[in-house]
Amino acid sequence: MLTIENLTKRFDTTFDRPLFEQVSLTLAAGESVAIMGESGVGKSTLLNCIAGLESVDGGRIRLCETDLTTLDEDGFARLRRRDFGFVFQAFHLLPHLTLAQNVALPLWLLDRDDRTADARARVMLERVGLAPRADDWPRHLSGGEMQRVAIARALVHEPALVLCDEPTGNLDPGRAAGVLELLFERIQAAGAVAILVTHSVVAAGHADRILHLTQGGLIAAPVAA
Amino acid sequence: MNATLRHVFLASLWRRRLATSLSLLAIALGVALGLAVQLIHAAALDEFGRGIRLLNGAADLQVLGSRAGFSDELYARLALRPEVDQASPLLEVETRLPARDETLRILGIDLFRIGAVTPSLLPVGANPDEAAPAAGDRLDALQSDALFLSPAASARLALKPGDRLRVQVGTRERILRIAGTVPAAGVGQALAVMDIAAAQQTFERIGQLTRVDLRLAPGVTRALAQTRLAALLPPGVSVLTPDDAASEVLGLSRAYRVNLTMLAAIALLTGGFLVFSTQLLAVVRRRQEFAFLRALGLDRGSLWRGLLAEGAVLGLIGGLLGGLLAYLLTALAFAVIGGDLGAGFFRGIAPQVRFEPVLTLIYLALGVFAGLGGAWLPAREAARMVPARGLRAGDEAEVYRARPRWGMALGALLLAALICLLPPIAEVPVFGYLAVLLILAGAILSLPGATVAAMATLRPGRSTLWRLARTRLAAAPGQTVVAGAGVVASVALAVSMAIMVDSFRGSVDDWLTRMLPADLYLRASDATASGYLDPESVARVAALPGVAAVRPVRFETLRLGETGGAIALIARQVDAGGGLPLVAGTLQPPTGPDQPHPAWISEAMADHLRLGVGDPLSLPLGARSQPFRVAGIWRDYARQQGSVVIEIADYRALTGDPRTNDLGLTLTAGTAPEPVMTAIRATLGEQLSEMILPGTLRAMILGVFDRTFLVTYLMEAVAVLIGLFGIGTTFAALATSRRKEFGILRHLGLRRRQIGALLATEAALSAAVGVVIGLLAGGAIALVLIEVINRQSFHWSMDLQLPVGLLLIFSLSLILLAALAARLSGAQAMRQDAVLAVREDW
Amino acid sequence: MTGAPRILLAAVCWLGLVLLASARAEDFAPVLEGRQLFFPADHGAHPEQRTEWWYITGWLTDEQGRERGVQVTFFRVGTGIGADNPSRFAPRQLILAHAAIADPDTGHLRHAEQVERALDPLAGATVGQTRAWIDDWSLTLEDGAYRTRIRADDFDLDLTLTPDGPPRLNGREGFSQKTPDPANASFYYSRPQLAVSGRLRLANADRTVTGRAWLDHEWSSEILPEEAQGWDWIGINLDDGGSLMAFRMRRRDGSTLWAGGTLQQGEQPTQILSPDQVRFLPGRRWQSPRTGADYPVEWRIEIAGRRLSLRPLMDDQELDGRRSTGVVYWEGAARLFEAGREIGRGYLEMTGYWRRPLGL
Repeated sequence: MLTIENLTKRFDTTFDRPLFEQVSLTLAAGESVAIMGESGVGKSTLLNCIAGLESVDGGRIRLCETDLTTLDEDGFARLRRRDFGFVFQAFHLLPHLTLAQNVALPLWLLDRDDRTADARARVMLERVGLAPRADDWPRHLSGGEMQRVAIARALVHEPALVLCDEPTGNLDPGRAAGVLELLFERIQAAGAVAILVTHSVVAAGHADRILHLTQGGLIAAPVAA
Repeated sequence: MNATLRHVFLASLWRRRLATSLSLLAIALGVALGLAVQLIHAAALDEFGRGIRLLNGAADLQVLGSRAGFSDELYARLALRPEVDQASPLLEVETRLPARDETLRILGIDLFRIGAVTPSLLPVGANPDEAAPAAGDRLDALQSDALFLSPAASARLALKPGDRLRVQVGTRERILRIAGTVPAAGVGQALAVMDIAAAQQTFERIGQLTRVDLRLAPGVTRALAQTRLAALLPPGVSVLTPDDAASEVLGLSRAYRVNLTMLAAIALLTGGFLVFSTQLLAVVRRRQEFAFLRALGLDRGSLWRGLLAEGAVLGLIGGLLGGLLAYLLTALAFAVIGGDLGAGFFRGIAPQVRFEPVLTLIYLALGVFAGLGGAWLPAREAARMVPARGLRAGDEAEVYRARPRWGMALGALLLAALICLLPPIAEVPVFGYLAVLLILAGAILSLPGATVAAMATLRPGRSTLWRLARTRLAAAPGQTVVAGAGVVASVALAVSMAIMVDSFRGSVDDWLTRMLPADLYLRASDATASGYLDPESVARVAALPGVAAVRPVRFETLRLGETGGAIALIARQVDAGGGLPLVAGTLQPPTGPDQPHPAWISEAMADHLRLGVGDPLSLPLGARSQPFRVAGIWRDYARQQGSVVIEIADYRALTGDPRTNDLGLTLTAGTAPEPVMTAIRATLGEQLSEMILPGTLRAMILGVFDRTFLVTYLMEAVAVLIGLFGIGTTFAALATSRRKEFGILRHLGLRRRQIGALLATEAALSAAVGVVIGLLAGGAIALVLIEVINRQSFHWSMDLQLPVGLLLIFSLSLILLAALAARLSGAQAMRQDAVLAVREDW
Repeated sequence: MTGAPRILLAAVCWLGLVLLASARAEDFAPVLEGRQLFFPADHGAHPEQRTEWWYITGWLTDEQGRERGVQVTFFRVGTGIGADNPSRFAPRQLILAHAAIADPDTGHLRHAEQVERALDPLAGATVGQTRAWIDDWSLTLEDGAYRTRIRADDFDLDLTLTPDGPPRLNGREGFSQKTPDPANASFYYSRPQLAVSGRLRLANADRTVTGRAWLDHEWSSEILPEEAQGWDWIGINLDDGGSLMAFRMRRRDGSTLWAGGTLQQGEQPTQILSPDQVRFLPGRRWQSPRTGADYPVEWRIEIAGRRLSLRPLMDDQELDGRRSTGVVYWEGAARLFEAGREIGRGYLEMTGYWRRPLGL
């Protein structure tokens, strides 16, 4: 379903450092993979490249027969709107939107009407166990709760691909476990392909596969934590 | 996109209510001031035009003379001309109303003739016969004391038919009877009508007319009739189309109108700057949010449009508020200062507030435009951001990494200097105003470079705070641009106006000293009104004990040539009478029997007629052209239409007119003016003369001056206030977006108060750079105002005068206020829990 | 016995009457019996008297034989205002002019008027010779013939009127008493049997016209007495070359306050009619659809025992001046009959039927 061939990003302009070359990866429908690696090796950049948020220096990414590397910026934006879901370490809930509105945001971007979006968002919030607080504000939530909202938001528009960048990085281990469980349960329920970038072996353990990103590329051999 | 637009973009305006309301306020004020100026003038011009139409009626041509008028012999000659179908004679008198301290415009008409040309001036008796409204009272209307008031005059004077009205002629009183009304004169025109014979007799103008209205015979063109009739007319009398006559007055008020409009436009511009500041800060603060939305699939164009929509909505709401406010202001202005904003162009009219859809829409559009313009750069900045980078925290400083733009700044200033050399377009100094805009643009463009340069020249110092502030500004000069653009604009404008007004006021003060050399002034009425002093009164006053000498002054108007308006003639002693504020020429021209009479012309007249010292000039005096020579050019702030001074001895010899308008009295040494004033009152009558001490007159004139500039001061204050608000909101926003930075500093051991002090120092430094650039730009703009805009609009020069103390105090207070505003608005950031702030994005 | 009140009333009415209070009779020279009229001097204006008129009425026939009535009047009115005013505009004297055409084809009067203050050379009335004018309207007597020129919006007149004899003095040698009180009197003479030739431009067509007309010249200082409501007047050129002028002053109840007239028949001497020799008996009435005023348009008139009847050229010869002069009266061409036979043509004037012109 998702195929990455020889993806190369030689230089990280943000942090002025060299990055990965010749990274290849194939994911079947419904499959999830965790990508681990040392700090600075370019895990997040790899995710950004897949999402089209950063340009690549070579290689190909195909999602369901679409060659993403041929898309222009707006084409990629449209694709992200429809087929991508994101879970960030920093949650990125918009503070001025209620939980339901935060979850509805991807649907708004798809020009769904307000009422449909709201109903769908509430269904999603129910699935992550926050239905009673649908009209509450993000600032009243704990970190774990925030990430559960973010998960609901990532899946509300039934994306084909879910990208997760350190989803539990800001959570204590107890909360993290619950969030991870929920995340993978929802991804599987949605039948989406998922890529998880993490430092955490525990988190990685929830994925179908664990890969390590090194200067040379992705190494499939599991490494003890 | 709709829901996104609503919830993500527009809702954000609501979230930062303070900044939003300040932007709204700025735009609303700009729109309100601009629209109000336009509304007031539209209404005043409208009413003025109605008055002109009313007074002109169906006249095809008008024969006009000076205020003194021309011989009524001309009337019959005109009426009998084959080109003329109907001729209607008029004698217009502005009469002083003793004890009322006001004047009334009285039109002496031939009621058997007026109906054919200006039917709206037909008087109607007090008790018109309902069955036969035209029947009559015609004989009553012919009575020598019958006066007919327009509804507006009737209301203003609180008089009804049957009442009596005292009018002044010379130093005597006449009593007129209100015999009826001029019902068709319309609600806005305060005037009165009486029979022409009665008017000539009452106001001692036997044999004189000021105007003859002509309706031409069928088939005769205006141009043809104008040429043929002009040949009949004595010098100083012109035959004009009614439009020419009207445009004389409109032309005079236009410069003033354009000036006020420009000032209002500048308030709006400041509003636009404030939108820019708040939007840019909002963009910085929402950087992560935008990056995240981009990640979710919001395309670049939508982001750009969303942000522009924010600006447009700000502009729209501000524009709507401003529109409302403008109508309130207009109503208030009509109630308080009258239709001419205190400048005295339109007397005797009472304009009404009216809804002006086109003007309102234009200003609403300007409001939206200001909002859009302000949001433009920030929106572009946001749309350009690389989302992957924006998703990470802590790179706001990026935005403030403004490049110095010395080249563009210099280019703008050079261009400004060049276009100042261009002449005005249609009497409006278009290029002067453009130069002002260019100077402003240049000043703002030089802000980043100036900040860097200023920080480089500042000594690093030992204080941590000082170092931090200095390095922050040097590294992020854009922060100064954001905080300082509004400051530069408002300071530049305030400073330029302060310098201009101060120079103007100083020059006017000087001018008054020259023009008012006597110890006491006496007049029967304002020079335009019906009072005057006859030689006998002058002699009686001169003979009073304590009076050492008297200097009579006679004011008249003259028409030079076929086109162009009437200019003022001032006949007085020149060299012996205190001199003149000359800018060229001499007070002692060569005298002799073959020498033409000397004349001193005002700058406006020199400009209009392209005359220089030594040029010959012929003036129509006593119905003949008399040879004069320009002996000097003087500065006249009182008569924008142009004026000429001649020796009163020459005037009397040429015209035989012995009347005096103003009498300057020199008192014998040691005489107090009060007893002399009492003696004059006893001699001339209690309410028939006006006396004034030069000091009081000077205070009065300067009072009028200050009132004229009141609107200007108000706009200045608004601009400065908006600039200060700008600093406040900028630093509030900066403080919020730099919470993490401050968190780290707190971790590193800075105390809360020190963070506050850091903000205050940065603000003071930013403001200082802004103020210094504003001062420089303001000085440059003041020069343009004085040398280009005033010269071209009003034709008068003034001596540059710098109110150094005032500017210094103003600048220092502004810097202090900026520091204070930053300190206060940053308070929230200092309350922030340092740990939380740092952890948020680690 | 004359129609003196007619002038005063009509002229003064033209101006609206409120003003009468302002100009007092003392401002003007009284009309005293015994003053001889001298000609041509008395053909001219008499500015020392308050009001004066030259009043032409007549019948015109054009080339097609179509008959029309014509009336041209020049009034001079002393206002008593501005005697001390040296202004050339001083309104001491006003000149009014009035012209009307009675055309049966139109069915009502075409009329026009002008008012001006006397202001040489624009308008005036000359002393010592007949010359009254306002702009291009004029009436003059030169070389023994009158000439009048009128240029109105919808008609032009240029008529020469030649008298057949000397002026016919009305009343006692031109002193014409108008009420039982001889203080109410005027100087009054008539020029009947004027032979008319000239041009009438009507409906944009020039017509050469001929006819017979009548001119009254009358001047006085008095105003309509309090007890009078109005008057009825006729001036008829008799077919035998004679003339008949008769008038009566009406009280408010319609009864006769005073009457008088002048009759000249053929070669017989002029007969001055005393009040009891003149009777006006109203006949058929016509009500004006415009003003509602009800006029007796046909009359039985008894002159020194002779029974005459008067019938109008057309019924609607009412002059509606409500929008201009404020006066409404009936002034029209009429035929005089005796025993069913037409014996003359002239004009009938009736005032005071709409409203008493001198308001209370």
